[in-house]
Amino acid sequence: MINNRTNYTIQESPHFEIFSEDQKEQIFNGMMRTLQYTGANVHHEGAREVFKKAGCKIDGIRVYFPPEVILKALSTVPPVTEVFPWDGDESKKIVVEKKRSYFGPGPTPPNFIDTETLERRPYLRKDASLVARVCDALPNMGYVQSLGSISDVTNGLADVYEFADMVRNTTTPIMSWSFTREGCRDIHRMGIAMAGGEEAFRARPNYIFYGEPISPLVSDFHAIDKCIYCAENRIPQVYSPCAIGGGTVPATHAGQLVVALSESMVGVIAAQLINPGTCVIIGGVQSILDMRFSIYSYGAPELSLLSAALTEVVHYCGLPMYSTSGCTDTKKMDVQSAMEASLSINAAMMSGANFVHDNGYTESGLTGDIFQTVMDDEIISMARVVERGVEVNEETMAVEQINNVGPGGHYLYEDHTMKWFRSHWMPSLMDRNSYESWEEQGRKTMKDRVLEKTRDLINNYEGPRDKVPGKADEEIKRILQEAEERIKKEEPKKQA
Amino acid sequence: MSMDLSKISEKLISGDVEGLKQMTEETLQTDVNPGDILNQGLLPGMDTVGQRWKDGDMFMPEVLRCAKAMSGAMDILRPQLAEGDLGNAGTMIIGTVAGDLHDIGKDLAAMMFEGAGYQVINIGIDQPNENFVKAVKEHKPSLLGMSALLTTTMPRMGEVINSLKESGIRDQVAVIIGGAPVTEEFAEEIGADLYAPNAGSAVDIAKEHFEKKST
Repeated sequence: MINNRTNYTIQESPHFEIFSEDQKEQIFNGMMRTLQYTGANVHHEGAREVFKKAGCKIDGIRVYFPPEVILKALSTVPPVTEVFPWDGDESKKIVVEKKRSYFGPGPTPPNFIDTETLERRPYLRKDASLVARVCDALPNMGYVQSLGSISDVTNGLADVYEFADMVRNTTTPIMSWSFTREGCRDIHRMGIAMAGGEEAFRARPNYIFYGEPISPLVSDFHAIDKCIYCAENRIPQVYSPCAIGGGTVPATHAGQLVVALSESMVGVIAAQLINPGTCVIIGGVQSILDMRFSIYSYGAPELSLLSAALTEVVHYCGLPMYSTSGCTDTKKMDVQSAMEASLSINAAMMSGANFVHDNGYTESGLTGDIFQTVMDDEIISMARVVERGVEVNEETMAVEQINNVGPGGHYLYEDHTMKWFRSHWMPSLMDRNSYESWEEQGRKTMKDRVLEKTRDLINNYEGPRDKVPGKADEEIKRILQEAEERIKKEEPKKQA
Repeated sequence: MSMDLSKISEKLISGDVEGLKQMTEETLQTDVNPGDILNQGLLPGMDTVGQRWKDGDMFMPEVLRCAKAMSGAMDILRPQLAEGDLGNAGTMIIGTVAGDLHDIGKDLAAMMFEGAGYQVINIGIDQPNENFVKAVKEHKPSLLGMSALLTTTMPRMGEVINSLKESGIRDQVAVIIGGAPVTEEFAEEIGADLYAPNAGSAVDIAKEHFEKKST
């Protein structure tokens, strides 16, 4: 059919906006004023040299960034970057560009909810491959993080072991982290091993690196050192703070956005000066300090609002956004965590943030709970339905079918229904049973069903472990061995 | 002359830092016993603050303002106090261990201890082990507080405790540790005396410890 509509506007999915262009510009300018007049502390002589050469004013460890340096950096950020699963599966490819959202777990909580006992305990090495394998099977986890920091390997190597184990248990691109440049390099070498060589990795990077400045306005040595390493090697990277409203940043949301944006911008400028065109994602956890319990709230509605607001400002800068959702202040997956996660996932989805992390964080970011991740996976798929919107055309309006059926009929026999009903969302966890069947099947609660689904994946889903090329597997083992030797050498130095 | 010391409590509870300093100075000019200013004015004020905080009636920024007011008054009062007036609230050394630049939790704890009447010596962030030992030797505190936010820097706290042992001064000081990834088990493992899950509870935990010790 010829489409003969003219001057016709199409809007199929919800438009969700917090700010006007003027307000985004105002916050952007607030960042410019902050970096110019307050500056940021950079605990890295090499980085300060780079900033100085670019025209920044340096005073001790303080760096002041004039507007032209910031604008120049923003002029070289790439509009689009691709990240590839190591097995070449195009369906898991990540395209980092405006208005594409990928959800995933988060990095480094010290604790984990044991999948057998359901008790909180320190995060163990075996958990990293478990999380990778479960997330590999979850259709709505677009990228993977570990949900913990391994406690039972050589101190200082949790980062390297985590990546080594995860990358062999999922083809979904990983977002890794490290303590220092050395760990960052080891992970890079493993990425290269999985890609099949340095050239192959450059053409098809298979992971993203996560780094974090300290709020307010401090880039510690390792944070900026790793940022430089990633820029030099063209590894897509996140550089984003955890800004604590009323604690490390102003209690007012606009003030928080200004500081959070400024903190990240230091990494963007460093990376673009080192290697123009390299991918830097910014944003971070944005929430408030609960002034009763002095905890950083991961379930606060302000997290949803601030994250969506920052997404708009970050996109205004032409940068991809690292946002937050699916997390909770309660201790384990429960009704509270479902409520908090539903709100934050929907807000993040509507905002169009690029990477949305912390799906599966409980206890205000101190515990990883894979059961929460599995429940979040379902919430994400629901939010996607809303985001997919409503298609309006002759076929979907179905005026002809309406006429065929007429008043008082039904649509169950219609070919049109046969063709379209499968586009309806189908739950994997939500209960829509009759009371009788629900009773017959053991009166299962949401918690029961999440436990069942998760444990089924843990026990029966094998993941890609067998597909890992033998050569890459050997190389990873060698890198781990060398990392052990490196730490042995570093330890005496630290003592001295 | 008797004076209504509840005015001092009220000033403290209102978080008026300068006003409380002035009132403390003026009261000292009268013949009121400095120990009474502390025990009938300031400490009851802080008790009320603590209670109202626990009841959800006062919040962190307000409590910190009161703690700051308390600390300012104590600076004026301390030289005038007799031995024993302060009870268990002595000197405290607090810092973040080497390799760690995180200071907000540690600073919150420091302010809370100041609010409880402690003389707090905050040695700052990224402090090498020997600086903790040196500070303990120099100031002879009753309490040493250490904090870490990174799992890589947590072991430094155990090292400091070992250094205290090697220097033969471990028994002189109670060690309290904290920081987001730090747990009670970890505190036990490295031989710390006390563990505080957050800045707000640290003072009560220390208080309880000293009370138990003195009975």
